[in-house]
Amino acid sequence: MDTLRVENIRKTFNLSRKQRKIEATDEKRKIAVDAVSFEAVPGEIFGLLGPNGAGKTTALRCIATLIRPDEGDVFVGPDSVLKTPNLVRKNIAFLTNELKLEDHFTPNYLFSYFSRLHKVPEATMLKRREALFSRFGIDKFQEVKVADLSTGMKQKISIAISLVHDPHYIIFDEPTNGLDVLTAKTVTDYLIELKEAGKVVILSTHILSVVEKLCDRVAIIIDGRLTALDTLQNVRSLAEDHDLETVFFDMVRESEALRHA
Amino acid sequence: MHSFWQIFKKEMVRVLTDRRLVLMVFIVPGLSIYILYSLMGMMIANQLEGVQEHRIVLYEANMPDAFRSRLLARDEANDRQRLNLDIRALEDIDEDTMTAQLLSGDIDVVMIFDPLFMDAINDADNHAIPEVFIHYNYGRQQSSFGYNQVTQVLMAFREDILIDRLESPEQYLVFMTQTAPVVDERQLTGQGIAVLMPMLIIIFLFAGAMSIGPDAIAGEKERGTIATLLVTPIKRSEIAIGKVTSLAALALISALSSFIGILLSLPRLMQLEEGNTNLGIYGVSEYGAILLVLASTVLFITGLVAVVSAYAKTVKEASMLIMPFYFITLLVGLVSSFGQDPIQMPIVHIIPLYGPVNLLSGIFIFEWSMINLLIVIVSSLLYTALFIWALARMFNSEKVMFQR
Ligand SMILES: Nc1ncnc2c1ncn2[C@@H]1O[C@H](COP(=O)(O)OP(=O)(O)OP(=O)(O)O)[C@@H](O)[C@H]1O
Ligand SMILES: [Mg+2]
Repeated sequence: MDTLRVENIRKTFNLSRKQRKIEATDEKRKIAVDAVSFEAVPGEIFGLLGPNGAGKTTALRCIATLIRPDEGDVFVGPDSVLKTPNLVRKNIAFLTNELKLEDHFTPNYLFSYFSRLHKVPEATMLKRREALFSRFGIDKFQEVKVADLSTGMKQKISIAISLVHDPHYIIFDEPTNGLDVLTAKTVTDYLIELKEAGKVVILSTHILSVVEKLCDRVAIIIDGRLTALDTLQNVRSLAEDHDLETVFFDMVRESEALRHA
Repeated sequence: MHSFWQIFKKEMVRVLTDRRLVLMVFIVPGLSIYILYSLMGMMIANQLEGVQEHRIVLYEANMPDAFRSRLLARDEANDRQRLNLDIRALEDIDEDTMTAQLLSGDIDVVMIFDPLFMDAINDADNHAIPEVFIHYNYGRQQSSFGYNQVTQVLMAFREDILIDRLESPEQYLVFMTQTAPVVDERQLTGQGIAVLMPMLIIIFLFAGAMSIGPDAIAGEKERGTIATLLVTPIKRSEIAIGKVTSLAALALISALSSFIGILLSLPRLMQLEEGNTNLGIYGVSEYGAILLVLASTVLFITGLVAVVSAYAKTVKEASMLIMPFYFITLLVGLVSSFGQDPIQMPIVHIIPLYGPVNLLSGIFIFEWSMINLLIVIVSSLLYTALFIWALARMFNSEKVMFQR
């Protein structure tokens, strides 16, 4: 039961006039996620791969209860994002660049603040903070205001803070964006540890190498629809040369051809 | 209910540890009011003093000695009766020059008596009634003041001549009057306070809420920090309660800063007003009632500001959307301070803003009832609950929180 099940979700946005101009379309509505279903299980890293604007972030926001799917539902363990969003929130870590930290506070303050919101006992909080901060090298600037930190440092703090309650479900949207190779490796190593600890890890990316290195199973999403959903091995074998890049390019090209038809 | 306290604490820490915000929210309002009101008081005092200290330049023609000596007596007086006079002969100043000098302020008053003024008075039967021409410039305060003073002396002069002509002074007096005024000092002082205070209270509370509300809610939306909060399992209603209560506390402190400014500048400002403004006239029950009205009203106001701020997409938009409500508040304050006696009808007290202001006016003049206080508190709390409910729904709505 402790899997994460996405059941046929669909999400449509109303486009304002300005957005219609940007997207160069007359359509008043944009289907960002269309009939997407998949299941992520404990002990695996599930990758959501797609080009810019494919609907990755939108799908993850539905899972994380920030927005509600128009159709379908997501079950995080036994809990539905539509019916009991607050139970879902207790068990997930969500990282996406839309979630910002308050400039005025220090990493230390923010960590204890969010721990208290998650009702984490003080002693546990201190232990976890110590572990996560030293792991991500935050301890060096734990008393510096977020305003004075670099993008990468903020990203590391966001990761640590999303994990204050040691959740079972980890949903990371482009976690290595803006990180240097060293820091990116710290993060990916940590994700592997989480997976080995039996957590459900979902991550989205448009970077093929991240998928190749990390993911056990992968879904490719293009224009809101899943075009592949299988183990990394099987998805690779869709191309003759067993190269993920070839698979990805073929699918993107195919969908573009469809769109212009 | 433990999470709302976390939000409350965070909001307080956020403002109280930010030097710029502390300055803006707590120091600047009080200080600017203190400086403004003190300056106003000083300027009014200076102006009054200036008029009284001014040496009245009086030009005369044919002024009888009997009258002149009366003026000089006032010039030599030592008390408040003293008139600072500079009497000069009109002589060869022609009419046009005189008018020009009256207009420019070089001359304050001109008195031109009939050449045979005293003869006409002493032998009224054989003379026409004598005349005095007085010229002054009512566009200048010093001139008006001088005119008033010399005519007073002139009237007294006439009265004495009249009494002399009659056989007995009783004939002139006709009747005597005596006045025996009574006053309740508390009421008198209270009236003065009731004119200004309720309006200031409501305006300061609103201004306080307005200075922090938009940043605390619309700002969090704009900067994307509210989303981080929304993925935690904290109940949306607790976020709403935490926000409203913390904003209310901060608005109250900010209003308090303004009051300290007022109280400190009051002696300077009020020296011209009658009666002293001693806030010690009120007892525990009045202060208790005032405090309860303040607390419930500030909750209402911050609830309103919070809902508007949550609706707005940016801090700027929030500040703009709040403006109309601020004007309504100003209007309510003005109506109460220039209206008649506070209304005692209970139903009036359920009107947001107006009810509390009306009750405050009543409290300041010792005319208020427990039932109206209760109505104000309960209705304000009900409105606040409504705002919190709306706010919680807004936090839950992706349209309100994330629509770009
Ligand atoms: N709030 C919104 N209103 C209107 N359209 C939106 C909104 N959010 C997303 N979209 C649209 O939905 C589509 C999917 O966006 P989404 O952010 O999910 O893509 P993504 O796969 O995360 O892309 P990227 O790799 O660039 O992050 C895009 O066309 C986007 O313009
Ligand atoms: Mg994205």
